[in-house]
Amino acid sequence: MQDIILLIVGAALVNNVILARFLGLCSFMGVTTRVDTAIGMGAACTFVITVSGMGDWALEHYLLEPYGLGYLRTVTFILVIAAAVQFTEAIFRKFSPTLFKLLGIYLPLITTNCAVLGVCLLLVEGKYGFMDSTLFAFASSLGYSLVMVLFAGLRERVALADVPRLFAGPPIGFITASLLALAFMGFSGMGAK
Amino acid sequence: MFPTPGQHAPEARDIVEGVARVVAVEGGNVWLEPEQTTACGHCAGKAVCGVTPGSARLVARRFQLPNDHHLQVGERVMVGIPEQSVRRAALTAYGIPLLLMLAAGVTVQKMGGGDLQSAAATLAGLAVGIGVVRLRANTLSGRGELTPHFLRRITAVDAECGLDRS
Repeated sequence: MQDIILLIVGAALVNNVILARFLGLCSFMGVTTRVDTAIGMGAACTFVITVSGMGDWALEHYLLEPYGLGYLRTVTFILVIAAAVQFTEAIFRKFSPTLFKLLGIYLPLITTNCAVLGVCLLLVEGKYGFMDSTLFAFASSLGYSLVMVLFAGLRERVALADVPRLFAGPPIGFITASLLALAFMGFSGMGAK
Repeated sequence: MFPTPGQHAPEARDIVEGVARVVAVEGGNVWLEPEQTTACGHCAGKAVCGVTPGSARLVARRFQLPNDHHLQVGERVMVGIPEQSVRRAALTAYGIPLLLMLAAGVTVQKMGGGDLQSAAATLAGLAVGIGVVRLRANTLSGRGELTPHFLRRITAVDAECGLDRS
């Protein structure tokens, strides 16, 4: 159990997708103006990253690696991500149209989110087994969602503050993000893998 | 749909607002199509995701409300949903399947299963999770928790103040 906890803490906090690996910065700045949109996007991303991580692991181990097709990795992973997004959308549309109407707006944005592809490529580097790979994908996306929601909360508070005109908007957003990144650097001392 | 008697109306700050356009009036109900929200309105992915007025994606997200305010086709209105409902919907839709599939996979792995067995258990957990989501979503829909409420018509003042965008 300890190895699972270390894997999750390492992927979610120590090597956070946004603040340590600098992936998914477009959605990080674009969708964090409100906490509710950050939650919606974060939850959708968590689901899609985990599902596409499973698909990518299977393709990597049973197709790309055995047949020496590593040069097709990026293209294949992008296809898997797009398929995972379509799968999620189709499932919601069929089984719960109400949820689809409420949350479906975030799904198309995930296809173009580099954090999803980044995590899938990191899985290959890690040489994990299936379950470790799935947990790594889940934990990475959990870290992504956590930072999105934290940052959205900070931005909601900053929006009410009296910020000098030169810093209003994205500039104070970047300063806030840098302070959040500094706070997350504290986790690096934990020494998790 | 307004809160039923006994339910407390959420405070304005707890409401997630969005703009919708009336696309059809059917008897005592209106069909509304949500307009693009800030979530993707400011993103470079906007052109890629194809969320433009009248696109299939927005048509699929049309919803019905009682026409208590005598709305006409083409009118733009502000609709809202409690913030708590969005959180609950996100956790229901994504949290339940994720937790069930991870729990199934980890359990099989801890019982000595290999990669293939873990993968099969994970997929089975996902399938069960989707079934649970369906039941839970039906319950939430039945309570009206996932249905947007009519808030107000979009006025010229809203447009001038930039309040016509969520």
